[in-house]
This record gives sequence, structure tokens and C-alpha cells, in this order.
Amino acid sequence: MADALRSAGGTVGAGALLTHVAPPVASPFGTASHVEGECILAIDVGGPAPPPEAVAFLDGIQRYAVEGRFGLVPVVRGYAAAAVLEREGTELGVARALQEEFLVVARSRLTPDQEAALEDVDLPIVECDAAERSHPILDVQLAAKAVQRRREVVEAELAAAHIEEAPGSWLVVDGSLGGIGALEDGARVVGLVKSHETQFLEGADLEVALTLPEGHRTSVFARTAGARGRVFSFYLRLWPWQEHDLLHGLVRIERPPGEAAVAEASEVSRWLLAERAPLSAPDGRWDRLIYPIRQVETFLRAQAGGWW
Amino acid sequence: MIRLGGGSTIGRVVATEALPAGPHQFHFWTAIDTAIGIGAIVRVDAENGRTVYAVVVDGRAYSDLATPLHEVVAAEGDPAGDRAPTRRTEIRLWTAAVLRHEPDEPIQPVPLADVLLATEQDVEAALRMDGYVRGEQPTGIPIGVYRAGGLAAPVYLDADFLLGPESAHLNISGVSGLATKTSAVEFLLSSIFQRLPSHKGSVAALCFNVKGPDLCFLDQPTELTEADEELYSVMGLAPRPFEKVHYFAPYKADGVNLNTLRSNAALVGDVQPLVWGLREVLDYHEVLLNRDDIDAKADAFLDFLADRVVDKQFRDEWGNTHRVGSFADLQLLFKAIFDGLEAAGRGDSWRTHHIATIRKVRNRLLNISTRCRGLVTDDGTVSDLPFGRFEDRSVYVLDVAGMDQLGQDLVFTRVVTRLREHLERGDLGVDHVVVFVDELNKYAPADGPDTYVRKMLLDISERGRYLGLVLFAAQQFRSQVHRRVVGNAGTLVFGRMDMDELAMPGYQVLSPATKIKLATLPPGALVVPRPPFSQPLFVRVPRPAVLQGPAGVKRFPPAADVPFEEAVVRQLTAMDKRIAPARIRDCIAGRREDDVRRALLATARTRPDDVEGYFKASLGPAVRREAAGRDQDATTPLRSVEDPYAT
Repeated sequence: MADALRSAGGTVGAGALLTHVAPPVASPFGTASHVEGECILAIDVGGPAPPPEAVAFLDGIQRYAVEGRFGLVPVVRGYAAAAVLEREGTELGVARALQEEFLVVARSRLTPDQEAALEDVDLPIVECDAAERSHPILDVQLAAKAVQRRREVVEAELAAAHIEEAPGSWLVVDGSLGGIGALEDGARVVGLVKSHETQFLEGADLEVALTLPEGHRTSVFARTAGARGRVFSFYLRLWPWQEHDLLHGLVRIERPPGEAAVAEASEVSRWLLAERAPLSAPDGRWDRLIYPIRQVETFLRAQAGGWW
Repeated sequence: MIRLGGGSTIGRVVATEALPAGPHQFHFWTAIDTAIGIGAIVRVDAENGRTVYAVVVDGRAYSDLATPLHEVVAAEGDPAGDRAPTRRTEIRLWTAAVLRHEPDEPIQPVPLADVLLATEQDVEAALRMDGYVRGEQPTGIPIGVYRAGGLAAPVYLDADFLLGPESAHLNISGVSGLATKTSAVEFLLSSIFQRLPSHKGSVAALCFNVKGPDLCFLDQPTELTEADEELYSVMGLAPRPFEKVHYFAPYKADGVNLNTLRSNAALVGDVQPLVWGLREVLDYHEVLLNRDDIDAKADAFLDFLADRVVDKQFRDEWGNTHRVGSFADLQLLFKAIFDGLEAAGRGDSWRTHHIATIRKVRNRLLNISTRCRGLVTDDGTVSDLPFGRFEDRSVYVLDVAGMDQLGQDLVFTRVVTRLREHLERGDLGVDHVVVFVDELNKYAPADGPDTYVRKMLLDISERGRYLGLVLFAAQQFRSQVHRRVVGNAGTLVFGRMDMDELAMPGYQVLSPATKIKLATLPPGALVVPRPPFSQPLFVRVPRPAVLQGPAGVKRFPPAADVPFEEAVVRQLTAMDKRIAPARIRDCIAGRREDDVRRALLATARTRPDDVEGYFKASLGPAVRREAAGRDQDATTPLRSVEDPYAT
């Protein structure tokens, strides 16, 4: 099979064994516009370089559990936490952390007595959307989305606090900057996106992006970011993808829109390449998950402990 | 390094299914920069009021690295490549062995709580020292200083445990050449002398100096480092040499130069000769005579001599009256027997003893003074240890380093037997005697012949505690010392050890980390394993405040052997510096050496105020020598009986 693929100009993948159909992608396509040049190019960033001295890393986690139901209406207890770990020398230390515990329920479906009973519980109540018709799974999914939104809020609060209190420090955020509030041009915030469910490029641009050689980045492009407008972004290949699959070692970097994002793209790429060590293995996402972000996750999971 | 005083929280107990916390062992983690290490004492307080004291016996560090391959991948195969910007998360995981639970019952697993560095009070409680350090009649003897995490706390042993009647005896092991064993014993003796409370009675030490100048300068001060002085201060001890030390050494073969390295003119005056005669030796003939030679018949004749002849009026069948008090007297007795038998014409037996047996015993006995020349004299003069007059807090050093094995055996056996006899009667002069013997690998080996010295050491080990006879013994290889000698030692102490030795079964109770630390201990650091404490404890011991052997020899170079006349002059002037050497030379000119030797010995033994006068009086007036008609000492061989034992 490998010979057949190579003989006709194809590439050979990792051959991972799969058994289930992957869940459908919620938003497979987005839109983008060129910022750096007229088309997407593969740019050699020049190898890894030492990161800036002041760097912090932000990540968040969420937990939820169905505590019970009023009739068919689920009552969900949620937990959201986020932390910023700051690096001093080579040591990571907790700079700031936030955690919240709350109830999630579709208030519109509760009776006054039921609502009053929940208010007696010493936890804040977060409203979630209600589906048109009751559905035991869909209702819980809607509650889970509310928990996720709370996590994004907590992350955004921490990011804002860090940017305000440590303006000279870089902040590497796990995931998209879409949830973070408005950021000025030149703000030292980097979003590190590991999942590629939404593709903003297409055609030749997409092929260039997804077949980047190791140590290369794409040209900077702008993607739409909901109501907030645009976020500047580029792809970066941390590890070679040959013998694996297209997405192996590929991350998408997000920066606040502005000239600095373009000017600093290669520099940021170089120190992110340096962050490949230490390896975050045995985490299955080791090819895209940098070690400090994994440490934020480890810290948050340890803090959550046996939350239930 | 974070420096912490005692009582600070330094870790937390962790327990998993694979690494559970038990009642006797648990695990805890600390910060990477922690003040504790192997041997540190910690405390765990449970919420229900229980407290657990423990000592750290092992430590591990690891990171979240799942496999070394991940490091290779991250470094892209280049170990000299750029360092990773972030250090992996590490853990310091410690294993601690429980020393004590409070309350003692019920014994339960250690609670999963904070771990605190022990305070001085905690160390006391953890090692159960509170029972004998405090109270109306404390019996704590400082044996070293526990140091960890910035805390320095004295460690005590119970005098009842160290000196009896509970347990008693101390055994110290360690490699040779680091001055650890001898130094530790010297320090311990000093500590006992300074701190043994009066209600525990009096104590003296008897040390056999078996190697070079090891114990020859116990009364001489030495310079200590600040660190040593600090250790003394922590223990509340004064760093000073022994105040009362009595040295004993036999003469060399010339019978006048002392067989010791403490022969410098400035010190030799303090050394008393150790000289024994027939009576002192005869009771221990089994030590000196080869068992292959001495059969039942010879034994019977020796018993006859000991019971009926020596130190008694004895009338033979030929009208002669003998009082045998020396080898010379014994020689005359044998001559009379042989002459009498020859004259009577019956040469086969005397008083039921066959003439061949008598000849054999004569030859073997008379040979002793030759084989142990310097210790055993022909003429019956004796200079012995002051049995019955031992003084409290005194050290008696017997320098047997220059003697051959036979002489050492005799000295060990007789001295220990006499000590035991006096202690049994309660008339030694002190209530406890610590006997220090180094080189147990030589004197009480696990294998080898059953020597009298080994029997004596076994006897002290097994029965000494009831009498106040305490053995402090040292050796390089504990595994090769007789098990009953080591097993009866209530207190064990380890200095630096060979890894080969630590691999022996007797050390299986030590953790691997403790063994490795033992193999790399610096001088002055000791481990006190169980017993007496429930877990091995590392302590620092200061250098003894006495001049060590090699330094002593440098400061007080031994005097070279000198001719007879000069040796006599030196010894007398060392006793009394006012004596004019010329007068002594005039006095001894032309006198028989044996007479001079006897007078010198009497003077050295008596230590009179007027040394010269006493010596001259002991020597007596000069008598003109007359030529004898025949050699009085010669024994005419019997014609009728062949002497197969002539030597």
C-alpha cells in the first residue's frame, strides 16, 4: 500500500486503527483573508530560539455532573477553573488561579418552589438554554455548554488580570483567543490552537498550511472571530508530519490583529519551537501540546482533585 | 537550600495502594529544596491527637518523564543541544521508619497529615530519651549530636543500658584508618566520666592498647576545631583530656626499657612497669602451655604445684624446706627433686608423678619467663594493676601493643579474670569497669581456635553486666566476630563501613540508602543502629579532646632504647627530676642487674616521695661477689631416664 501511495505522488500516513465514526464537526469552515502577502506561503522560521524571559501560560478546565432532575429538567452542578503558571528561569510557578462552582439549570422550566429550593443551596445558579422539546441528552448538552461558557469567562478574567498586572510578560493561552476580550495591537498574547476542526483556508492555501515542513510557518492571515471581528493567525509545524498524518505536530497560532502580529510571527514561532522540549508525552497530544500548558492542566486537575 | 529550624512543616504524608502508609513505615513528599535527608527525624501530628515520630531511611526523586526516550526525542538526539526552557516537575519522595507512636496503643497506620521537622523536644521523645534524660535522677549519657535541618540536639543513652544492669556493652564497627572507632570510644569514656550521675556509682576504664600509640596520650590535650567545640557545647560536655590516667607496660626483653611508645622522657615517668612472677602466671598456665603438651598427668602435677607448693612451706623427702615464690625458687625445687631421686637411686617417679611428666612441666614452666621476658620475671618481683584500689573516673591503660600474641593472651586473661573476681567480691574499688578492647576480629573471631582471650571476652559479654564489668569492643568486620560477643552488646555503633561488609546478612535490617550513607560516612559521623533506638540514627561525634596516637608520637617522640645503666637513670629521673644522674650511676656501678632491676621495679611500683632514697634502700648495700665453685643453677641430668622433652 505504501509503495502504491508513494509511486503516485502520495504520502504515507501513520495507519492508526480506528473503530468509531468521529462525531460531526460543528463548524468545519470559517473565513479568512490574507494579511502577509497575497497567498499563503511556507516560511522557514530559522529553527528554535530561546523564549522570552517573562512568559506565562494559561489554561482552564471544566467539570459537571447531573445532580438530579425536576421531572425531566436536569439540575447540573458545574465546576470551572483556570490558572496562569509563570516561568521564572526554568521553573513554573502559579501566578494566579480562579475556580468556581455553580448550578446550571433551565430556569424557565422550573416552578417557583423548585427555583426557591435551588436558591437555598449555597451555590450561584447559571441559566442555560432550554431546547424546544425536552430531551434527556440534549438538555444536558445545553447545560454543559453553559459550563463551558463559564470556563471561558474564568479564563478571560484571568487573562485580563495577567495582562493588566504583568504588561511586559508574554501570555500563551491554550486554545483560541476568541474567548478573550478585546486585545490591543501588540498585546503580548499568543493563542495556541491544537485542534483543526474549523478550516479557515481553502484550496492551495490550505494545502500549503497542512503540508508545512517542520520548523516552518505560514504567512499570517486574518480569520473572522465572531462578533469581535478579526484575529490574526498562522500555522506552525512543530514536528515533521511525514510518516504520521497531516495534522501531526501542526498548531495554529493566534495573535491580536495588528502589525506586531506580522512582525513578530517568526520570532514567536522560533520560541514556540523551543517549547517542544521537554516533551509532554505520554499525553496523546504531545506533538501539539507544549509542556508548560500540560503543566497548567496537571495543576488544575490536581486542584479539582476528586470534585464530584 | 532552605534552612529551617525544628518544628516547621516540610512535607505531607502520601499513601497510595502501591505505597501505603503503615504503622511502621510511611512516605511523604517535600519541596525540592528541603533541609532534610537520610537520618532526619520528623513528626506527624494527626487531627485526633496522635503523634508519630519517625526517621527518614530512604529518599527518591523522579519527574513526570514516562520514558527516557521522550527526552531523546525532545532533544532531537543531541545531548549537548539547547536546554529545555522549562524544567520537568520533580518530586522528592521520602520513606520514613517509625520510631514512636504517642500514645503507644493502639498502633495504627501513620495519618495522612503534615510532616514537621523535629524539634529538640521531639528528638528526645522520638528516641524515648525523655524517660531517662528528665526526672529527679536523670541517667542520660551524651553519645553524640543529632543534626538535621539546622537543628543540633544531643543524643543520650541511658546509663543503665550502656553500663548495665540492663543490656550493657558497646560494640563499634568501622573500617580501619579513619580513627573513628578509637576516637569514638575515647569520647564516650570521657562523656561517661563527666556525666555518670553519682547515684549510679563509680566507674573506671581499663583499656588494652593493642596497636601502636593509639591510647598512649589520653592525658594530653589536643587542639579541637570550632565544629568539635560546638558539638561539645551542644552536649554540655567539657572538651578536656582524662584527668587520671594510669599507664602500665611490660619491659622489653632487656628487662629495663619499657615496652611502650610512651617512652619520651617527659612522659615515661607516668608509666608503671607491668611485671608478674610465678604466682601470677601459674594460675593461667593453660593460656601459656600448649594443650597438646599438657595432658592429664601434667595437669595433675601443675595442680599439685599450685595447691601444695607455690607460696607455701614445702618440705621434700630429703630434708629440704622450700618456699617457692618465683621461677628461680621453682628451678631450685626441681633441682632438689632430681638430685634427691638420683641420690636415692630411684628415677621413675616422685609423689606418684612420673619423672618424665615432671621434666616436661619443668621445661614448659621455666620456658615461660623466657617466652614472656619483660612481663614475667624469674625473681618473683611483681608490679601489677592496683586491684582493690581502682579509682573512680580513672583510666588504666595496659600497653600490650609491643607484646607477642602469647603475652597479650596472658595479660587479657589474667587481668579480666582478676577484675571479675574483685567485682564479684565488690572490692575492686569501683562499681563499674569499662574494658575497652580493639581488634575483636583478632581476639574474638567467629571462626578459629577457641582461645582463652575469646573465652574471657565471651564471659564478659554474657555475665559481665551483672557485675558491672562492661565490654566496649571495636572491630573492622562485625560479621567476623563471635556472634555471642556481638549479640550481647546492648549498644551497637557503626562508623564508615565497607560495602562488602554491609552486604553480609547481619546488615539486612538497614535500608539501601542507610547502607550507602554508611559506606561514605565522614570521620566523626556514626550510626547507632537498633538497639538501643528503634531505628538507625546518625549522630555526629566530636574528636576526643585527647592527643591521638600519631600526633602524640610526633609531639612526644619515643625514646630510643638505651643501655641498662642509662635506662635506670632515665626512669628514676623521670620519677623525680631532682635526682642527679651521676649519683645513680655511682650507686648501681658494679651491682647485679637483677638486683638493680628489682629495686627499680619496687620504686616504680611504690612511687615514694624520696625516690632516690627508696631506690637505694631497695637496692641494699653492695656485697662483694665471690666466684662459685660450680654453677648453682645447673641441673645434673639423670643418667637413668632419657629426657625426651628437653628444649
